[in-house]
Amino acid sequence: MSIPPTIEVRGLRKVFRQATTGQSVVAIDRLDLTIQPKEVIAIVGQTGCGKSTFFDMMIGLEAPTEGSIHIGDKSPYSDFDYFRGKMATVFQQDRLLPWRSALDNAKLPLELMGRPEDEQRERALMWLNKLGLGQFTNAYPHELSGGMRQRVAIARAFAVQPDILLADEAFGHLDEVTAAELRDTFLQLARECGSTAILITHQLEEAIAVGDRIAVFGKSAKLLADIHVNLWPKERYGELREAIQATLQSQKADPRLMQPA
Amino acid sequence: MAHVEHRESVPVLTFPRQTIVSLLVFAACWEGMSHLAPLLGIPPFAIPSLLRISKSILTITPIDIVVTLARVIAALIASFIFGLVLAMAMYRSETLDQYLHPMIRILMAVPVVSWILFAVLWFPGVEFRIGFVLVVVCGPVFLVDTLDAMRNVPRELRHMMQSFRPTTVQFFLKLMLPAIVPTIFTSWKVNISLAIRVVTIAELVGAVTGIGHQLSVAQELFSVADVFAWTIVLVALLFLLEALVARVEHRLLRWRS
Ligand SMILES: Nc1ncnc2c1ncn2[C@@H]1O[C@H](COP(=O)(O)OP(=O)(O)OP(=O)(O)O)[C@@H](O)[C@H]1O
Ligand SMILES: [Mg+2]
Repeated sequence: MSIPPTIEVRGLRKVFRQATTGQSVVAIDRLDLTIQPKEVIAIVGQTGCGKSTFFDMMIGLEAPTEGSIHIGDKSPYSDFDYFRGKMATVFQQDRLLPWRSALDNAKLPLELMGRPEDEQRERALMWLNKLGLGQFTNAYPHELSGGMRQRVAIARAFAVQPDILLADEAFGHLDEVTAAELRDTFLQLARECGSTAILITHQLEEAIAVGDRIAVFGKSAKLLADIHVNLWPKERYGELREAIQATLQSQKADPRLMQPA
Repeated sequence: MAHVEHRESVPVLTFPRQTIVSLLVFAACWEGMSHLAPLLGIPPFAIPSLLRISKSILTITPIDIVVTLARVIAALIASFIFGLVLAMAMYRSETLDQYLHPMIRILMAVPVVSWILFAVLWFPGVEFRIGFVLVVVCGPVFLVDTLDAMRNVPRELRHMMQSFRPTTVQFFLKLMLPAIVPTIFTSWKVNISLAIRVVTIAELVGAVTGIGHQLSVAQELFSVADVFAWTIVLVALLFLLEALVARVEHRLLRWRS
């Protein structure tokens, strides 16, 4: 597996015009962010701060109003097809196709890439097994629990062994124990795969658990703080959490974040 | 639209006791009426006895059933392809949708009888007339139903699919079509009953074969028994086709809880 390219976000801006009111909403206002290869980054921010908009632009479903996103030397929006099989997503709801079995759901991205049938099967099975779903490959989504469905969705994302993994509130709807378990599995697999991973969340616990790095978004995706978690010793995680909380509340970087070690 | 009520279809071709009882009661009443008719001054041919009707049923010519059935099925397949292809095009292009939508509304408001008269005035060939009427009546129903269903595919699923970057063909084959299969079945059931009813009227005008033609012959002979017999055939045909579709549907939609 190749080394994932660096992601460079420069002066990114996204303005929506609300169809009903005709008003403009600045969802993202001049965001600059660089994400290193294989980095695992959590993005936290309050509701409506533009996280999902950023996510949609990262996967190339929305065009920037201004500025750019470059992954290597390519843009996920303009070079949409180039990234087929190189990026994978996990969403808040599992978003499985209800008429496909777990196995057929997991192999969907491989199908779209036009891989040979037996390779599709083999890879999808391998990932379902890794996620502990070996017994349920033929089950339909409605026959699985919420946590299991999300496991299928994760297997689906990993099946292409993507350079970049993106998750938007992927564990938010599960109970705490299941969420933590699944998140750890996800992170471990992401590291094994050597993918760059971007996890969007509004839960601080989750962001801290993710590890490498936390980007704290204020209103309109203003980058309030960029935290390298590994500079913080574990015993000070409580303090880190409070500092992020304070940052979100005041919409200004908390001074404690400046002096980690 | 009226056919929305059909959505939860009851299993056809099962005969619970109540159904049998109500049919028997109806048959008994009819038989009673046929014996009472002369006393009430109604001519005897108006309400033929069950025996007379059974005799008519025995004279039914299978070739007419086959011909009508073939017309219905061919026209339904053509309507379905026409409706689905146009629906996909309209889903893709908002402009196309804006131009075609009013036309389709108008088409759907035209009474069947007008179509039949237009067909007679415009086209010389009998088969083409019948086909034209059926397609122009059933096609828009398929179109509107499938377009509506495509629009109702959850945004979340479309978004997920897009994020894996399918080609346009893959997007339709792997997401849109499977997602609208339940609607396609409902639409087929609605259109089968529509087509069976329309085809007989269309066949009344100018056809020399088919159930509609036999009905018009029966009418010329003042044979209520024959009309009754052919009507039974039509209803049975409709139920059979619906049962067939329901079976396929059951098999294909096993993924639903
Ligand atoms: N398609 C759209 N049209 C108009 N406005 C939009 C659109 N998508 C998002 N917005 C607006 O942009 C802003 C940011 O929305 P976004 O969904 O990115 O927030 P979020 O951080 O993901 O919130 P949450 O945590 O609730 O998911 C909101 O004010 C929202 O109303
Ligand atoms: Mg969101």
